[in-house]
Amino acid sequence: MHRLLGMLTMVGAAVLLLEVSPGAARGGPPPASTTAAEQNLAIIVNQANAVDDISLKELRMVFLGERSHWPNGRRITLVMMDPGLAERKAVLRDICRMNENEFSRHFLQGLFTGEVFVSPKTLSSATGVRKFVFNVPGAIGYVRASDVDATVKVIRVNGHGVDDPDYPLRIEARASK
Amino acid sequence: MSEEGKHANAGRSGLQRLVQAVSNQIARHSSSLLLFMVFCVVVAVGAFMIGDLHTATVQVQRMYAGSVQGLRQIGELQYEAQETRRSTLYALTTNDSNLQVEYADQSRGADRLVTDGIAQYLIGARMPREVEVGRRLQQDWAAYLKVRDEVLASILEGSTKEAVDLDLSGGVPSFDRVRQDLEEVKRLYDEQASEQLTVVDASSRRSVLRLVGVLCFTLLFASASVWAIQRSKMLSALKLAKMQMDFVASVSHELRTPLAVICASAQNIADGVVDEKEQLAKYGSVIRHHSRQLTELVNQILLFASTHEGRNRYVLRPLQASAIIESVLTNTRELAEEAGFVVEQNIEPDLPPVMGDFSAVCQCLQNLVLNAVKYGGSHPSIAIRAFRGKAEGQHPAEVRISVEDHGIGIDSAELQQIFEPFYRSPVVTAAQIHGTGLGLPLAKGIAEAMGGRISVVSKVGVGSRFTLHLPAGQTVESEKAALHRVAQL
Repeated sequence: MHRLLGMLTMVGAAVLLLEVSPGAARGGPPPASTTAAEQNLAIIVNQANAVDDISLKELRMVFLGERSHWPNGRRITLVMMDPGLAERKAVLRDICRMNENEFSRHFLQGLFTGEVFVSPKTLSSATGVRKFVFNVPGAIGYVRASDVDATVKVIRVNGHGVDDPDYPLRIEARASK
Repeated sequence: MSEEGKHANAGRSGLQRLVQAVSNQIARHSSSLLLFMVFCVVVAVGAFMIGDLHTATVQVQRMYAGSVQGLRQIGELQYEAQETRRSTLYALTTNDSNLQVEYADQSRGADRLVTDGIAQYLIGARMPREVEVGRRLQQDWAAYLKVRDEVLASILEGSTKEAVDLDLSGGVPSFDRVRQDLEEVKRLYDEQASEQLTVVDASSRRSVLRLVGVLCFTLLFASASVWAIQRSKMLSALKLAKMQMDFVASVSHELRTPLAVICASAQNIADGVVDEKEQLAKYGSVIRHHSRQLTELVNQILLFASTHEGRNRYVLRPLQASAIIESVLTNTRELAEEAGFVVEQNIEPDLPPVMGDFSAVCQCLQNLVLNAVKYGGSHPSIAIRAFRGKAEGQHPAEVRISVEDHGIGIDSAELQQIFEPFYRSPVVTAAQIHGTGLGLPLAKGIAEAMGGRISVVSKVGVGSRFTLHLPAGQTVESEKAALHRVAQL
């Protein structure tokens, strides 16, 4: 009985470790540092996109597929990361305010009723998201602040840059890299 | 003969003398000159061939760098352009966004290579047509990339139909234009390669022809040189043989005359034709005179032979020029008086002694005086002078003894030849002036063996002046040096 309890405890610890460090579980490189800025979630768009700032409310509409076009008329293409990743969890929690099931159900229902105009594209890595956004002028996605490079453009949220202390989108510490 | 005719004859004579002098010089150094010329020709031919090969190599290198390499680069450009389009179309075949992104990435990687390749082509373009085609290719490629980006965006957005429509309406025609541009660039390179190949081919043919020509020329030149050298040697041998034959004939003649006189005199005495005491004395005098003449001749021949073989060893000591001249005049007085010559002597006072062997110096000077009597012509006067000579270049201070006559003189073309053994001028042979051709070579050999030399100044019809240069024996050092020089000889 004690031996069974010990094994269960070890399995639980391993699951917890996988959740805390998904990158490590995928065999990725260990993090260089875990500063506050690196925990922020950057919202990225194509370099040709004229939008520089977006409110959290508008962002919610975009990520829930309730807004189909940018102000310049270009169609919005939503890019999400695979379920279970910390970045996606942060988006669902802070922007959509839904869990995974509610999010899936929202899109199934919305597409059926016609209330939702765009179905999100799903990519498995930050690099994939970046490349997608780079290739598609109307794309919007998210990556960790530390994964941002010059191929994409980071937009402000509620007037706050990704490095600001009041930036509203953060990845949970236990789920950070 | 008119004045003009005389001038023309004089000109011809001068030209003939010049040609003869040049011919003599060439004959003297013919082998060395020809070998030097062959060497120069071989060096020139070698340099020419190396230059020609270098030119051909440079042309081939240019052809490779300009056309062959260009064709290879265009081949790569064509492949990468196809890869750009192929990757874009692959993205259409899947709904997996991750794969679509990978294909888009591959397409962009390939298009960067094409863009760079076109830029490189434009940098290297020289001809206006190349520049024109290169710019058109650049524009068409940019136009295609614009459509390609739209197509990729549509594919990634999930609008497959829109992507296909875009590609069919814009992508296919613009890519066709790019393909045509690339074909034209390739054609240009082909034309250039063809032109370069023609140039290289022509150059190669020219090189082969030149090589054959130059080799033929070298062969002919070398054959001519060998022939000339052989001929020169043969002529030299013939000349030497002729001189030896002349010498034998001359010596025979010189021997025969006194021998005939001696024989005739002896025969008369033996036959009792001569019985009076006075007549016997006269015959005895004749026999003695001709016997001495024979002895002199034989001695001269033997002396020349020993000098020529280097067997003579002279004992050098300081000698007074006056004593030498006195001895020579004593020995030659009888002959000079018989020939009616007046000998004038002029000895500079306070002359330093000369270093030499007394009998050898006397023999040398005697030969010069006898020549002056023999070739003195119709002006029977001889001047003997002894004077101090200044040091000149490599010649140290010296005493000079000159013998001057006013006879037939020597042609300037013959001045070098008269010191060659057995040489006899055609002029004196024609004038039936007997001799062996050994007097001057003998005198020259003696003078040089004692560290001296003989110089000559002569003019045809005016006379000749032979000068014996002997080193002055003023110091002990110079005496030692002369002794050392003689010991080396």
